[in-house]
Amino acid sequence: MGEILLTINDVSKQFSHIEALKNVTLTLNRGDIVGLVGGNGAGKTTLLRLMCGLYRPTSGRVLFHADSGPAPVVEMRRFLGVVPESTGLYHRLTAWENIRYHSRLHGISDEECWKNTLRIAKELDFVESLGRPTRGFSKGMRQKAAIIRALAHNPDILLLDEPTSGLDVTSARMVRSLVKRMGQSGGTVIYSTHKLAEAEQVCDRIIIIHNGEVRADGSPGELLGITATTSLEEAYVKLTMDAARETEKEDDEGKIAKLWRRMMTPKKLPGGDVEDE
Amino acid sequence: MWKMSRIRLIRAVTLKELIDYVRDWRTLLVIVLVPLLLFPILFVALPLLLQAEFVERQEFDLNVVIQTDDSVESLKPFLFNTEMELSWETIPLGIANLSDSALEDDRIGSGQVHSVLRLQKNIDNGTIWHYAILYDSTDERAKEAKRRLLVAVFAWEDEQVNTTLEMAGLDPYQTLDPVRWDGDSQVADVATTGQQAGFALSLFIPLIVATWTATAAMQPAIDMTAGERERGTLEALLCAPITRMELLVGKWIAVATIAAIGVLIQVVGLFLAIAMIASGSSVLGMPSIGATALILMFSSILLFAVMIVAFQLALAVRSHSVKEAGTVLGPIILLIIIPALFAQLINLEGIEFWWFLIPVVNILIALRELLTDTVVVEHVVLWAGSSLLYAFFAAWYASKQFNREDLVESIN
Repeated sequence: MGEILLTINDVSKQFSHIEALKNVTLTLNRGDIVGLVGGNGAGKTTLLRLMCGLYRPTSGRVLFHADSGPAPVVEMRRFLGVVPESTGLYHRLTAWENIRYHSRLHGISDEECWKNTLRIAKELDFVESLGRPTRGFSKGMRQKAAIIRALAHNPDILLLDEPTSGLDVTSARMVRSLVKRMGQSGGTVIYSTHKLAEAEQVCDRIIIIHNGEVRADGSPGELLGITATTSLEEAYVKLTMDAARETEKEDDEGKIAKLWRRMMTPKKLPGGDVEDE
Repeated sequence: MWKMSRIRLIRAVTLKELIDYVRDWRTLLVIVLVPLLLFPILFVALPLLLQAEFVERQEFDLNVVIQTDDSVESLKPFLFNTEMELSWETIPLGIANLSDSALEDDRIGSGQVHSVLRLQKNIDNGTIWHYAILYDSTDERAKEAKRRLLVAVFAWEDEQVNTTLEMAGLDPYQTLDPVRWDGDSQVADVATTGQQAGFALSLFIPLIVATWTATAAMQPAIDMTAGERERGTLEALLCAPITRMELLVGKWIAVATIAAIGVLIQVVGLFLAIAMIASGSSVLGMPSIGATALILMFSSILLFAVMIVAFQLALAVRSHSVKEAGTVLGPIILLIIIPALFAQLINLEGIEFWWFLIPVVNILIALRELLTDTVVVEHVVLWAGSSLLYAFFAAWYASKQFNREDLVESIN
């Protein structure tokens, strides 16, 4: 296990009446490729935003462990590379201008940024597109540009929010390969996705998050072990199954059956005739 | 060292915003071309157009009918000078008075006749001529015919007055104009043409500066805040190691620069137009404004821009979309125009001190005063102090808005 980079200690986040995260405790070590898996609205993006310091925890602490000691993440953003789900590219700027802008904000010289950009762009087969405005980019090209932008300042941690969402098979594969290579070279990645199979392919550690709670945290093998299942899909279903949700499901099924019966029961018309459809 | 790196971050934000903004050709059109051409078009092209239209009207072929039952020999030379086709008729029977146009509707309405002049002599109380001109106010030719008929009738009236006075043994010149200005009235004005120009400009420059600053700043302010939220670019930006205050300052400088360039170009356009007019005029000159007044003018505009841009950024960043921000900021222009109109009406002579404490109004009055090259230290202290306070408040409000947690949320 590598050195600790990020600690999330008993963090909860509430938005008016909605409790988006409940007492989340996590530790992220150097070299981890962590899959953050959960359904829509599970709290993945909220957790990522807390890790970037975009949200302040309602309770608990998020700490980044730099050489100088632990510090609030907001002061340590220069060690983070972030690819939000929306990619966040300026469409009137070229891909290179987008990358350079963010690197300047990270205090990286244009020369160093260009060297890094070129290296990553070669891996992603993106060199030719660097000088083009991002306005006409496909979703895949936008995602690649955003990944280069996030990596150009050599971050310690890369946060990816649904990085393969909307990508074709080849582009998604390319992104996954890049993440895997990062892991092999000692990089640290948090990979948020709702695709379990993808997380299984890319990550060596999976965190299942559901209704704002961390339901499980471990390697794929550990998840199978604690749930006594043979596939991650079964493990996920078991881990995210709520008693309340079951009751709700039964209630819903009962309502649907009742409605169906009512619809299928022939109505008696005045005079005793049966209405034909 | 730390400060230098923070300044570099702010500079990076400003530079990016400016590049991103000017990449849109419509921006250049709105910020550069429109303000640059507005006043030259208004001051030079418009008079030329009006002159051309006047010449065109002079060349109209016009038919008019003179209806009278009396001899009007003395009027005829004046009517002939109008260079219109004249035909003579008697006054029709059955009309209520000379203005009764019922019988002439068809002829004038169809354009067969452009105007009808009716004249009737009344000798009950001396010799009085009654007249009326029938015409169609929606027809250019009819209006021109009426204008020329009026010129003829007024010239004839003058002659009638002079003849009557002479017959009574009076000198018309002494009788009608007993009190006269001696010499050239323009020479009697001690103000130089430059001062006069400054005074004339003070009546509308503040209004232009105020409305254009607000207008020019609005679109970039929306684009750099609500636009970023809408496009989902703000989240990635906020993940960068830059404080929100630095981000606000960077964006503020970019918006203020765009607004300042817009205002500056408009003022340059205005001065260009004045220079063009002044080159052919002995009455109008370039405004003469001292260096102190000029520096204070720019300072006042700067303070005004600080306040307006900060408020616009703060309000725009609260909106989730460009449309929403436009709805919020649109009426802000009215909040500028209304006090600006008030500021134009206030007498500067003996002005009460509290006018210099009212936001927006204070800067506009200050500009009026400075354009006449008047520097009153007490007034400067009041408008500069109060504006600094408002600008500080606006910046504080904007920083509060930029620190909102929901800033990261996008409608996409």
